[in-house]
Amino acid sequence: MAPIVRIENVVKEYPLGNLVVRALQGVDLSIDRGEFTTIAGPSGSGKTTLLNLIGCVDVPTSGVVEIDGDSTSKLHDKELTRLRLHKIGFIFQSFNLVSVLDLFQNVEFPLLLQGGLTKKERELRVRDMVDKVGLTPQLRQRPNELSGGQRQRVAIARALVTKPKLVLADEPTANLDSVTGLAIIELMREMNAKESTTFIFSTHDPKVMEHASRIVHIVDGRIHSDERTDFLSSPLAETGGRAEAQAAP
Amino acid sequence: MNTVYFEIAARNLLQSKRRTFLLGLALALVTMLLVMLLALSQGLTETMIRSATTLSAGHINVAGFYKANANDAAPMVTNVDAIRKIVEENTPGLDYVVDRHRGWARVVSESSSTQAGLTGIDIRSEPRFGQTIQLALESDYKEGGRAEVVGRLEDLEQPDSVLIFAAQAKRLEVGVGDALTVIIETLNGARNTTDVTVVAVAKDLGMMSNWSMFLPKQTILDMYRLKSDTTGAVMVYLKDIEESEKVMGTLREVFVDRGYVLMDHDPQPFWMKFERVSGEDWLGQKLDLTIWRDEVSFLEFVFTAVNTVSFFLLGILLVIIVVGIMNSMYMSVRERTREVGTIRAIGMPKYGVLGMFMLEAVVLGIVATTVGGLMGAAFSAAIDAWAPPVPVEAVQAILMSDRLHLAVRPGQIITAIVAFSLVTMLASLWPALKAAKMQPVDAIHSAG
Ligand SMILES: Nc1ncnc2c1ncn2[C@@H]1O[C@H](COP(=O)(O)OP(=O)(O)OP(=O)(O)O)[C@@H](O)[C@H]1O
Ligand SMILES: [Mg+2]
Repeated sequence: MAPIVRIENVVKEYPLGNLVVRALQGVDLSIDRGEFTTIAGPSGSGKTTLLNLIGCVDVPTSGVVEIDGDSTSKLHDKELTRLRLHKIGFIFQSFNLVSVLDLFQNVEFPLLLQGGLTKKERELRVRDMVDKVGLTPQLRQRPNELSGGQRQRVAIARALVTKPKLVLADEPTANLDSVTGLAIIELMREMNAKESTTFIFSTHDPKVMEHASRIVHIVDGRIHSDERTDFLSSPLAETGGRAEAQAAP
Repeated sequence: MNTVYFEIAARNLLQSKRRTFLLGLALALVTMLLVMLLALSQGLTETMIRSATTLSAGHINVAGFYKANANDAAPMVTNVDAIRKIVEENTPGLDYVVDRHRGWARVVSESSSTQAGLTGIDIRSEPRFGQTIQLALESDYKEGGRAEVVGRLEDLEQPDSVLIFAAQAKRLEVGVGDALTVIIETLNGARNTTDVTVVAVAKDLGMMSNWSMFLPKQTILDMYRLKSDTTGAVMVYLKDIEESEKVMGTLREVFVDRGYVLMDHDPQPFWMKFERVSGEDWLGQKLDLTIWRDEVSFLEFVFTAVNTVSFFLLGILLVIIVVGIMNSMYMSVRERTREVGTIRAIGMPKYGVLGMFMLEAVVLGIVATTVGGLMGAAFSAAIDAWAPPVPVEAVQAILMSDRLHLAVRPGQIITAIVAFSLVTMLASLWPALKAAKMQPVDAIHSAG
């Protein structure tokens, strides 16, 4: 099967006054289905830029970004939106839940955008997902009544409820303390194993990096190294036990 | 798409309570004001129609001028029975027909005098006249008068009797039972003087009642030395006053067919046509058909004035409302930049964002304007029930009533609600477009 993400000689430039900032200067990268990849690198290295391109919220200045076979630079806003809705889930650094909606409604939201499910079906899907992230008791609470870790779990549930092929997370643990952060990564890992969803997340925390099956280092907008971690080289086979042990608080 | 959008809209509105409340209040008040102004305008129209169709006009009037010589004109029609018959047989939606005589006189009392338009009326054939005209308490027009009605409308059947209005009674310093001298000029230019007795004093009906007096038909015929087959105007009342204009057209054709000579339609009261007709170069009889509105067209300025004031008032308020809505929406869009970025990233299309923000404005608009519209209707109804006396006489004259009348029409409430909801929606369009145009990338990473 073709890789879920294929990036070829991608350059991304941002205008900055009269100057041009080259955030990515020729990146090649291919990510297979089911991988649990982290994009690592120092601040300003281009992690967010790269994830934005993969997430179809932005298009490259030159080069090719292909998501599940579709080249994003050929698509219009409308098609990019559809692509995001149906194939990609997002987890954000600062959770980004809709503050006026409760937990259930936040998770249900992408399903409503997609349409096609009955109320019953949606409810089942949402409850199942919320159960998986361990927040059933908080089902009717609003985001501001939840802790940071809980909010990020809601975000994970929201990202996964549509069963996307690809989930992107830009520094999902940056706003969490280290214990909670690790639990979130474990939860993602568990979902990666159970649903065989492809995950790509960025971080500059070495402890978090460790949990990835593949670490892509970028420095100054270029890929510096790309390694598959030894003991996690077979992502789908390994995860189960370890992830579950930590995910249950 | 789904109730969740309404929920988002409603909850966002509740989230910023203060802003929503102030904006909603403003919207409600403006809608209320609009409904009340419409009710006032409607009330004026109704009062005017009532006064006009009681005092001086039928829904349609078949009147005309008779010219005995080249430089004179009398406001009368001959052969009244034939004309009545044609009207009765050819008027669609006819309710009833009456005819009244017209005249112009100087009326003199012991202490004072005044000019008045005379109307010759057969009180028995006009039951509706008795329902609209209310007799005044004696104390209303006479110092030390009794707080009761003296005199009877039915006495207008008696020869040489007269019904006058309270303001005239005050001016002439007369009451029921007193005598007045009526001085007129006959068709051939002779002066004629008749003594009449006041048999009833009616409550004022605004401006027009200042110069109207009612006498028995026969008294007028005698004064002018006219044959009994002449009259001033055949007044046609329809079941539906809205049909007046159309039916007038029909009647014009009928009269032309029967060989009558008609004047061109001139939307003015008959007494404003005297001078022109007097100078015209023809002799004999011409018919002049008008509708009630023509006979009170000189009062049109009242509506123009009320509408102009309302228009400016509402215009200014509207601008304030629009600015308020836009401002508050821009604030809301700015505050929710990150939320917009997030839901756009998750897969909401641009028009979804547009709709989401506009829905919020529309929900606020509909709720606030409905509340305002109903409040306006309730206040108007309450004011109408209370019928506050109008203290200033000049205003009374313009309003054609000594009481304020407001009439609420459901259609007008709905119009007001729909109009202001639309305004709210349109005002929210720009901020909503701004939100829809935000790029998800920029939006997600914004602070807040
Ligand atoms: N919208 C923008 N306009 C101008 N320059 C930008 C923009 N976004 C990013 N950049 C620049 O591009 C480079 C890469 O930024 P990016 O946000 O991708 O880095 P990052 O690796 O995510 O950093 P961090 O770890 O701080 O989040 C930086 O030099 C940044 O200043
Ligand atoms: Mg970043």
